[in-house]
Amino acid sequence: MNFAHYARIWLTSARYSIVRTLMFRGDFFIWALVELFWMAVNLLMVSVIYQHTSTVAGWTKYEMMLLVGTSLLIQRYLMGFFWSSIFEMGRNIRSGNFDFFLAQPGNVMFMATTRKLDPDGLMNSFVALGVVVYSARQLGLHPSVADIALYALMVACGVIIHYSMLVLCIAPAFWITSAQGIEGSYFTLSEFSRLPRAAFKGLAQVAFVWILPVVVVSNAPASTLLHGFDLRVVGWLLGITLVWFTVAVIFFHRGLRRYTSASS
Amino acid sequence: MLATLNKYRAAFSVGLQSNLVYRVNFAIRGFFSFFHLIVVFILWGSAYAGSPVIGGYSFAQTFTYFVALIVVQFMIGAFNEDYQISEEIRNGLINQFLLKPVNYFAYRFSIYLSARLVTGLLILLPLVVLFPLLKAHLTVPLDAWRLGIGLPALAMSACIQFGIAYCFGLMSFWFLEIQGLVILSMAIESVLGGQIFPLDLLPAWLFRISQYLPYYYQMYFPVAIFTGRINDLTAALTGLGIQACWVVIILGVGQVLWRRGLRLHTAVGG
Repeated sequence: MNFAHYARIWLTSARYSIVRTLMFRGDFFIWALVELFWMAVNLLMVSVIYQHTSTVAGWTKYEMMLLVGTSLLIQRYLMGFFWSSIFEMGRNIRSGNFDFFLAQPGNVMFMATTRKLDPDGLMNSFVALGVVVYSARQLGLHPSVADIALYALMVACGVIIHYSMLVLCIAPAFWITSAQGIEGSYFTLSEFSRLPRAAFKGLAQVAFVWILPVVVVSNAPASTLLHGFDLRVVGWLLGITLVWFTVAVIFFHRGLRRYTSASS
Repeated sequence: MLATLNKYRAAFSVGLQSNLVYRVNFAIRGFFSFFHLIVVFILWGSAYAGSPVIGGYSFAQTFTYFVALIVVQFMIGAFNEDYQISEEIRNGLINQFLLKPVNYFAYRFSIYLSARLVTGLLILLPLVVLFPLLKAHLTVPLDAWRLGIGLPALAMSACIQFGIAYCFGLMSFWFLEIQGLVILSMAIESVLGGQIFPLDLLPAWLFRISQYLPYYYQMYFPVAIFTGRINDLTAALTGLGIQACWVVIILGVGQVLWRRGLRLHTAVGG
C-alpha cells in the first residue's frame, strides 16, 4: 500500500466524480451559484460593517477581506475535496451502508473520506483566491515566491485541520447512531474562522484560539501574508495540524471498532 | 364550519405529537443558535470599539436585534416545510390528500403552526438559561404601540415564511430536485431578511429598495418594531400595509402553482 496506489485510487474517484458532474450539469451550475452567493454574502457583511467603522479589532477593511478570503479558500477546498464524503459517512454509518467501504482496497478512513469530489466547490476556490489576490493588491502587498509558498502550505494545514474537525464532528455517529444534526456543530465552529484573532479576549480567547483551532487556521496564513514570516505562528500552526489530525485518526479508528453494521 | 375546523385541529395535534418527539433535537439546535451569538458579540463588539454608534444605534440595540432574530426565527421561521412538501410530491404521498376532502395548504399550515409552537416554546429554554449573561447587553423599548403593530406583523411574517416555503415545495411538480433552489433562496433571504446584518445599515438607496421586497417582511420588519429599529408609527403602519399586500400575493402565487402543478402531476400505483 504505497503512495502511488492511493494516488491511483484517488484519481479514479476524482474521474468518477467529474463524469457524474457532467451528467448533472444543471445541478452543478445551481450549486456553484449557491456557493458563490454565500461567499458574496460574507464579503457584503464585511463591506457593510466597514461603511460604518474604519477598523475592527485593529484590522482595516482590506485586511479583513484578506482574512475572510483566506477562510473561504480553506473552506472551498474542504468542500471540494472532502465535504460530501464525510457528510455521507454519518448517514452511511447509521444506515449500515458503511460496509461498502470496509471491503475496499485501502485504509478505511482514506476510502470513506475521499470518495467524492465536488467540482463546484473547487471552481469557487478560484473566486476565493481572487478575493485574496484583490485584497492583497489593495493593501499594496508584494509577497515573494517564498511568502506565497508559505501561505499555500498554511492553507493546506488549514484544510487538514478543518478535515480533522469535520471527522471529529461526524465520527460520534459510531457511538450514538441517533445523533442527527451533530454535523451542524461544525458550521457553528467554522463561523469563528472569519474573525480576527485580536478580537478574542478572556474566556473566548482560551476557547477559540488556544483550545479549538478555528481562529488560528485562517488568521495564521492571513497574518503571514500581511506581516511576513513569524516562526511562532508557523510553528504553532504546523504543531496543531499534527495534533488535530492524529486525534481525528485515533478517534475514527476507535469508532470503527464499535461499528456493528446494520441488518436489513 | 366546525367540522372543517376539527379536521385541521386533528392535523395540528398530529403535528404537535410528531414534533414533540424531536424536542431534544430542537433544544440542542436552540442552544447552538445561541453559540452564533458569541460570533455576533465578538464581531460587532470589535466594530463598536472603533465607533460607539453604528447606523444610529448602540451596541446594546444591535445585540438585542440579533437575540430577537433568533427567538423570532424559532417562533415563525419555515425550517424544512419546503423540503417536506417536495418529498410528499416526489414520493406520491400527496395522492392521499387529493382523494380526501382536505385542503393541502390548510393541512400543511396546521402542521407548520404546531411545529412552531414546539420550537417557539423550546427556544425560551436557552433564553431563560442564558438571560443572566445576556441581560447587561439587552435593551428593549416598551411602547404599547409596538405590541399593537408588532404582533400582527409577526403573524403576517409567519404567513410569508410559510407561503414562500410552500411555493418552493410545489416547484417539485416541475423539477426533480429543488434543494439547490431552496438553498439559493435561503442565501437571498438571509441577506435581504436582515439575518446577516440589520438592513438599516445598508446604503440608503438599497435599504429603500429592500423595503418593497417580501424578504424585508419575513423577519426584519417585526424584529425591527420590537427592538426599536423602527421608531416612527407612520412608517410602521405603511410597512404593515405593504406586508399585507405581500401576504396576499404570495398566497395567491401558491394557489396558482398548486392548480397548475396538479395538472402536471401523475399519480402511479395505489
